[in-house]
Amino acid sequence: MAVFKDKNLMEELFGELWTKMINETEFGPRIKKDGVSILYIVNDPDVVMFVDGDGPLFGIEAEKKHPMVTMKMSGDTVHNFWLKKLNIPKALALRDIKAKGPVVKVLQLLPMLKPGQALYPGYCEKYNLPMD
Amino acid sequence: MDYFDINLNLSKEDEAIRMAAREFAQKVMRPVSRELDAMSAEEMVADGSPLWDFLKKAYELDFHKILLPEYYGGEGISPLQVHLVLEEFAWASFGLSVQLLVVCFPFYVACMVGDEELIETFVKPFCKCRDGSIRGCWAITEPDHGSDILAVGEECFESEKMRGNLQAILEGDEWVINGQKSAWVSGGTIATHALLFCQIDPSRGFAGNGVCIVPLDRKGVSKGKPLEKIGQRDLNQGELFFNNVRIPKTWMMANPDFYVPFLDMVLAAANLSMAALSTGLARAAFEEALAYSKQRIQGGRPLIEHYVMKQRIFELFARTESCRAISRAAINLNFNISPPHVEYSLWAKTQCTEMAFQNSHETIQIWGGNGLTKEYIVEKLFRDARATLIEDGNNETLARHGGHILAETYPRKPDTF
Repeated sequence: MAVFKDKNLMEELFGELWTKMINETEFGPRIKKDGVSILYIVNDPDVVMFVDGDGPLFGIEAEKKHPMVTMKMSGDTVHNFWLKKLNIPKALALRDIKAKGPVVKVLQLLPMLKPGQALYPGYCEKYNLPMD
Repeated sequence: MDYFDINLNLSKEDEAIRMAAREFAQKVMRPVSRELDAMSAEEMVADGSPLWDFLKKAYELDFHKILLPEYYGGEGISPLQVHLVLEEFAWASFGLSVQLLVVCFPFYVACMVGDEELIETFVKPFCKCRDGSIRGCWAITEPDHGSDILAVGEECFESEKMRGNLQAILEGDEWVINGQKSAWVSGGTIATHALLFCQIDPSRGFAGNGVCIVPLDRKGVSKGKPLEKIGQRDLNQGELFFNNVRIPKTWMMANPDFYVPFLDMVLAAANLSMAALSTGLARAAFEEALAYSKQRIQGGRPLIEHYVMKQRIFELFARTESCRAISRAAINLNFNISPPHVEYSLWAKTQCTEMAFQNSHETIQIWGGNGLTKEYIVEKLFRDARATLIEDGNNETLARHGGHILAETYPRKPDTF
């Protein structure tokens, strides 16, 4: 059974997480300075989310954007990534994560997203998501 | 010599990066490479060799970290810019270009893992290095295993009979490494760190391998003599030996669970580089042939005025442009998607190295007897190009691997990045 029971749950959680990351952590200034934008195409549940220095967008609004990096993965893979439980090279090698965009920019995302990984367990508690 | 770029959309930054690489290639790399080519393999790495000054200059200009992300202190340049730099470098010297690429290889792969300990311990110090004192190498081939180490999809690859020459065993929180790597480890005898491929689970043959990063000052590491060879003599190569070498568990970056696709990711990056470098070598040969054909008088007129010579010069030009088009297309694809579509890297490597070799061969033919003498660079281009047909997987093995991938994936769907 998928970690995120539906699209609404995922959009709500990540709406809060991205906004907090941008406004309250070093991720905000960094993503603005580097002009980074990311499009997540998630399956199970089907969610499209876009984030840049201006904040997150979802669904049709997100699909209209032209991101620097596009990432495709399942909702469970998203969850494990933010919990720091994902072996990134393994996930890439086995195509659990697929990315489009300059490889150096993709590699750069890993450390940039760390502030979010520190916040994520708090959201798991709030939304009653498993952390095992 | 400059060339017309059929990409009319190069930015000012692209041009600036190309010009910086060209200046270094022309003024530093080519003269040094010819000096090194004339030395013995041991002299080349001895104290006082021009190799050390070359590396220091390259590091001062940040050319050792072009593949690494800006976030860690790398250059973070675009896939096209990587190609522009590599072509200029290989125009000057294929061997020194490979040397400059392998120095970053362990650190490039550590970036793929993204682990904080690896970044702090290895990647950031390498990016900060300005004197050439931190140098990586890619240690994959073994005395008993050359191309078969890439024979993914063949029955032998996963057979327990495929016993590697280097084994790693987990003891508590440490890996214990024993065995050796072949004399073909590029940069091996001068490296401070190795991207080391090792067998972890022999029952799975080479599918049971892993990949780790090993500082070569660890107790139990020793090095062989620098290898004497006919081509790319300016590229140091030599054996590495491991006798109960211990590294922390966390330095093993890939394990048998995903070794095979991980190997493909590494191979794809290496083969793209080989293809881009081949463009530079093909162009160098073409330019030598063109210049000589205008200068050399035969039958009372310059060679270029002979009908057949015009045709031969055009073929050299055509192969150079084909190399550039193919290698740029492959880099544009596979340095923009993760994981890469490996067959396109294999396509670029096999085709571009063949065309660069043909150019170097044909250039000697155009130069006649002068092309065979040590006095001119064309014989070096030929020797260097010959090595590329074997380097980073011989072309027959790579083509077989490509065929295996096609059998499983062709045609890929448009959205399968």
